[in-house]
Amino acid sequence: MTATTFSRLGTSNAYNSTIANLQSRQNSLSNLQESLSSGKKINTPSDDPTGSAQAERALNRLSRIATDQRALEAQRNSISHAESTLGDITSTLQDVRDLVASAGNASFSNAERKTVTDQVTGLRQRILDLANTKDSNGQPLFAALGSALAPFAGPAGVAPDYTFKGLAGTAVGGTYSIAAAMDGDSAFMLQPTRDAAYTVGVNGASGSMVTDTVVKVDSNLINGSAYGIKITGFVGNTVSYAITETPAPTPPATTAPATGSATWSATQGFTIKDMPGLSLKVNGTPTVGDTLTVDPNTSIFGTLDNAVKGIGAATTSNQTNQAVTQALQNIDISMARISAIRGQAGDLLNRADSITSTNDKRTIEQTANKSRAEDVDMIQAVSDFQKQQTGYQAALQSYAQVQKLSLFTYIS
Amino acid sequence: MGILNIGTSALNANLVALQTIGNNIANVNTVGYSRQSAIQTTVQGQFTGAGYIGKGVSVETIARNYNVFLTRQSTLAAANQSADQTRSDQLAQLSTIFQGGTNGIGASINDMLNAFSDVASAPTDLTARTVALTRIDETARRMRAASQSLDDLQTGVSQSIAQKIGAVNTLAQNIADVNGQIARAQGNGQIPNDLLDKRDQLVLTINKYVQTTSIPAPDGTVGIFIGGSQALVLGTTASTLSADKNDFGDPNQSKLYITQAGANSSTRVAMDENQLGGGEISGLLRFQNNDLVEGRNLLGRLTTTITTSMNDQHALGLDLNGQPGGALFSTVSVSTAGTNILAPKAPATPNTGSVTLGSNTAADLTLAISALSATSRGASDFVASDYQVSVLSATQVTITRLSDGAIVPVDPANPTVPHIFNPKDTATPITFDGLTLTNLSGAAAGDRFYLKPFASAASNIQREFSTPASLAVASTVVGNMGSANNGSLQLSSLSAGLKPSLMAGLVPVTITFKAATATVGASYKRSDDPTGTNIAFTSGDKIQGAGTPNAWTLVLQGAPKEGDTFTVQNIKSTGVDPKLNGGNAMSMMALRDKDSFDGAPMSDGYASLISQIGVRAQSANYTATVSTNIATNAQKDLTGVTGVNLDEEAAKLLQYQQAYQASAKMIQIAQSIFDTMIQTLGR
Repeated sequence: MTATTFSRLGTSNAYNSTIANLQSRQNSLSNLQESLSSGKKINTPSDDPTGSAQAERALNRLSRIATDQRALEAQRNSISHAESTLGDITSTLQDVRDLVASAGNASFSNAERKTVTDQVTGLRQRILDLANTKDSNGQPLFAALGSALAPFAGPAGVAPDYTFKGLAGTAVGGTYSIAAAMDGDSAFMLQPTRDAAYTVGVNGASGSMVTDTVVKVDSNLINGSAYGIKITGFVGNTVSYAITETPAPTPPATTAPATGSATWSATQGFTIKDMPGLSLKVNGTPTVGDTLTVDPNTSIFGTLDNAVKGIGAATTSNQTNQAVTQALQNIDISMARISAIRGQAGDLLNRADSITSTNDKRTIEQTANKSRAEDVDMIQAVSDFQKQQTGYQAALQSYAQVQKLSLFTYIS
Repeated sequence: MGILNIGTSALNANLVALQTIGNNIANVNTVGYSRQSAIQTTVQGQFTGAGYIGKGVSVETIARNYNVFLTRQSTLAAANQSADQTRSDQLAQLSTIFQGGTNGIGASINDMLNAFSDVASAPTDLTARTVALTRIDETARRMRAASQSLDDLQTGVSQSIAQKIGAVNTLAQNIADVNGQIARAQGNGQIPNDLLDKRDQLVLTINKYVQTTSIPAPDGTVGIFIGGSQALVLGTTASTLSADKNDFGDPNQSKLYITQAGANSSTRVAMDENQLGGGEISGLLRFQNNDLVEGRNLLGRLTTTITTSMNDQHALGLDLNGQPGGALFSTVSVSTAGTNILAPKAPATPNTGSVTLGSNTAADLTLAISALSATSRGASDFVASDYQVSVLSATQVTITRLSDGAIVPVDPANPTVPHIFNPKDTATPITFDGLTLTNLSGAAAGDRFYLKPFASAASNIQREFSTPASLAVASTVVGNMGSANNGSLQLSSLSAGLKPSLMAGLVPVTITFKAATATVGASYKRSDDPTGTNIAFTSGDKIQGAGTPNAWTLVLQGAPKEGDTFTVQNIKSTGVDPKLNGGNAMSMMALRDKDSFDGAPMSDGYASLISQIGVRAQSANYTATVSTNIATNAQKDLTGVTGVNLDEEAAKLLQYQQAYQASAKMIQIAQSIFDTMIQTLGR
């Protein structure tokens, strides 16, 4: 009430305005009470438009974080499932390696080797099944950027034996998400340029040749073809041979020459350096007409099949040794692939953990924002309430007192 | 005898004074009563040789204590107060329609968009798909409910306006009647205090409904004028107010009309809403024509933008059966004649051009959401406003955005230069704020059109289908890295921008990278670029497909090695199982961050809506509080003059009682003098 210069007061107006004041005090008391009981200082957006928009945005963020986190859990489950599956595959490959190594035992009979190859075939099937595992939502674990329901198909019987039916590559994940699937192509399919996993077979009457494994010299030159090498001459210390390349590489890829030669020594054998980007050391004594086959392995599964084929077909101990050497090398290459991808999975899981803790922090932050925007400061509110209460009491008492004051009371 | 006469006159005068005091006390609580006082005056004395001998007292008049300025001020303040208070009350109701929190529209929109996260995690999970559909339904339901509440509010306001207009018409007639009574009473030379009080009170009451100006006439009547110059009451005749739709026949906006009594009774004059000043009717009109319209537009824009964006995005995906996505929400029309596009209706001057509306032919004036292009982002450019199209000449048209009065589109470089469209130039579409107007070429100078693109969007929005399998969450385009890639390239995102049916010929595209050297950064070539130009590559850059909008958008991260490739292809031409792909669900989720509502991301559109309405309600409330204080003070000042103060009356009661007793005593003394004289004579 502002002070006025008028000396008169209308009695009725004085009463009315006092009553209006009392009502407004009662109203604000009731509003404070509502705030205190609901714990919210904003009961309608008009109480504090900015605050209510802030609270609304914080609510949106909170539900977004919860959604991010739930999606992240699903991604983490898939990746950790993939990681443990890769662990299973590694130990299975280790079993395969032990079996293959035991096949090299000279005392093994053909029947025993047959048992070994049967076991390896079984384990290969298991690895293929593991590679096709799906997560609890039915998504393949090794789908890369997308795949068929079973990403790995095979054996087809013709080259390539096993195919990855999907889109190779890795997704980078967002700020608050990680990839939901591992790159199966990178994990299980072998690339000649990257892995140079070749199986070298030796055929011939003499059967005294044994080779090392193929060595990668220059990955840029490797063209992924299979090679057939036939010894065409062995004069003095010079071995000459013819090379057939299938499929013939398309330019600009480097092509192997049709023929080549190398220098032989009794201790060192000879080294074929004519296959683009590769070199192959051959031990033993070559005989004209002997052939070597150099076939690329396109997948881990194919590697195991090739091992089975090589060991199963071996008739001499030299051939057995040859097959075992090649198989062991290729299995090692395969295990290196698996462990590389397993490392990526580990990284992703670490990232998921760090995102989770970020999400926790963001949740706390947004909850605080929301609370700051819309929750009542209890201490402040209680103190305001008491202040209002005192004020209201005083107003009521003074009203009652003033009401008693009237000149008529004194006229008798 | 003189003393007896004087005593009698004093007795009478004091009795009248006591009666007046009694009347004051009796009317202490009568609304509009002005305190009266008996004005006493000396009776002209009788001239004698000894000078003028007093002859007593008489009552000159019963004066009414009032102050015309305070009355006017109080009336005006009351008019403003009731306008502000009414608008504030209505806005408070409007702001409760747009509640925040988990029960609000905003939460349902976010829940809906977030639901696609679960679908993206498990595209084959029918439960997740069903949840998404339920969320869509819930959002549509909440939007409809809000629209229904707005309609209810609208109905209430319209009825309230009609009622109050009825009251004003009655009051105006009452004032005219009282004017007549006062004019007649004027003849007897005394002021008819109670009639004046009654008229002042009627004027005060009518001002609560509509602000008036009173101009007194010499015959004692007052003329009551509204809207500045329209006579509501003139002497003893009253005009009639009525409310009707505005010039464009918009059912959501009203205008006040006045029909003069007498000769001009057939013509109806429209009142300018801005000239009305205070009063409840004016508050209600302002609320209805501005605040409620804005509320509707905000809700309508929210609905249109979200449903259109979601429908558009959904149409880019493939469902579990490999079919392109259908509509998630019913299509919102922005072009319905009579609802979204209005032309002036009689009695307003009708358009003279040949533009047709609502004839259901292709030549009708059509408003549409602009197609996406380099300059238009379609629904994301919307501004929550109505528009008025003004035809200056057959080749010049301006479009005014009514929310801020700007002539659109505003050129940021020259904001003050109004943009003028040429309707005859049909090659250049009339595009503004995400909307395109076509078929305006027949417009003639002076034609007007009113556009309400969002007025009815929320009222009948529906979820369109209910089969979880039809939710198109798979992306049409997928990509793969070359198997022999050696670099560290990783796929950040790949999304489609065109419907599956339009993808033919635009994919596959193979991108072949050249590694960075010491001096030159990494670059790439595209297989769909016949010139084979090397394009610089920066990790995280967008690479976009051909077409408008771009058929696909790809973001790769990492450093490529020489010969690394990435191939963008149609999902159907790969061996990939489209059922397992959740690419389009990710794109639906990405809508959350799409810059849409005056720059706010889509997920926050509702937050800015509630704050916009909240600010209106809050400021209306502040204004109402201030004008209530002013009105209270004005009323207090007025009653300071006109009101009865009981203590004062008590004091005066004593004062005149004593004077009355003294007068009586005087008569007693006169009698005793008379008796003395008689007795003396009797001896």
